[in-house]
Amino acid sequence: MSGQVKMEVDKRLQRPDALRIINDAFPDQPIVVTLGGTVREMIATCGRRPNHLYILDSMGLVVPIALGLALGFDNDPSVERVVVVEGDGSLLMGFSVLSTIGLMRPKKLIVIVLDNGVYLTTGGQPSASGSTDFVAAARACGMAAQMAETREALEVSLVGGRTCDGPLLIRVPVGTVSPSTNFLLEDPVVLGEDFCRWLNSHRAGSAGIVSNKSTGV
Amino acid sequence: MAIVSNEDTDERSQALIAGIEAIRPTYVLELPSSNLKAVIQHFLEAPGVTTFPVPREEEGVGILAGLVLAGQRAIMIIQDNGIGNMLTAIATFPQAYHIPMLIVVSRRGGLGDYNSMIHNISEHVEKLLEAANLRYFQLDGRSPIKLWAPTVVRAYEFAKITHRPIVLLVNLMGG
Repeated sequence: MSGQVKMEVDKRLQRPDALRIINDAFPDQPIVVTLGGTVREMIATCGRRPNHLYILDSMGLVVPIALGLALGFDNDPSVERVVVVEGDGSLLMGFSVLSTIGLMRPKKLIVIVLDNGVYLTTGGQPSASGSTDFVAAARACGMAAQMAETREALEVSLVGGRTCDGPLLIRVPVGTVSPSTNFLLEDPVVLGEDFCRWLNSHRAGSAGIVSNKSTGV
Repeated sequence: MAIVSNEDTDERSQALIAGIEAIRPTYVLELPSSNLKAVIQHFLEAPGVTTFPVPREEEGVGILAGLVLAGQRAIMIIQDNGIGNMLTAIATFPQAYHIPMLIVVSRRGGLGDYNSMIHNISEHVEKLLEAANLRYFQLDGRSPIKLWAPTVVRAYEFAKITHRPIVLLVNLMGG
């Protein structure tokens, strides 16, 4: 022992890098973004984007929301894919949704699980993801599923997700390096309304019509 | 003395079906409910409506919200003993983001119920909803049958007009 402190370098893909790759792959498709730290890192990395639906506090609900969107847009050619960026902890809180996805088989849904094995936002407490095979579970429920452990593998998986019908789950092991970010303190009504306006504008643009309706309901 | 007959329950089921059909839903999400089995079965077989089970109420809230955001006409049918499961989901997403939705909730735990413990949650549903600032309307044995179907439609419209979740409590047993 020399007495020197050995510095471990985390060589894993980090969450902000994964978020940038996902954003770049789907700049014009709806992306549902999970909770606290991931939302803040997405905004810090890619800016506030109208095609992103930021879910602030609904742990366990993020994939179900995206499932509803994907079912709703199943026959709408203006929406090619519905992407959801989920964490391992939030997915585990609503794990039954994989079964419902398998039942309904929404072909446009891509579930990307950024799996850091911990509840990073609340202090790094361990999740049960280390003993849970998300890829096998998704396949057992009837989804296509794959692992993407590197930047290149994630890019290839996303290209595949764009071109092949799903539902698809991609598990992305990521490190726990988390940049300092500001809290997102916007009114959630504004977040939802911005997303709805983008959706309607996007769909109207594709159909060649103009609509002022902020929601389609 | 027969207080509640099968005919009463059947009549209320048919009125509820008529009300939901008048909404013209494209999706009906459902959790199993013995009192609502005729209603659920009707929509499982109805053409033009995609009816599917959700395993938990909170998951259903998320899927329903996504369908609404996608412009679909959708509702969810559950039992009142699942209200507790969905309160956090309702408060943090559709209430916070002003997403309208109608949730039809079958009452349990009252007169004529066979279950010896379900009243422990079912009797407190109104108080739970009020504590969660979740607006609800009620249909039961006191409601003229002719008002059932129009009330379902008005509750759905009221959710849209007020940009929030609305719960419609329906008691097919009467009271």
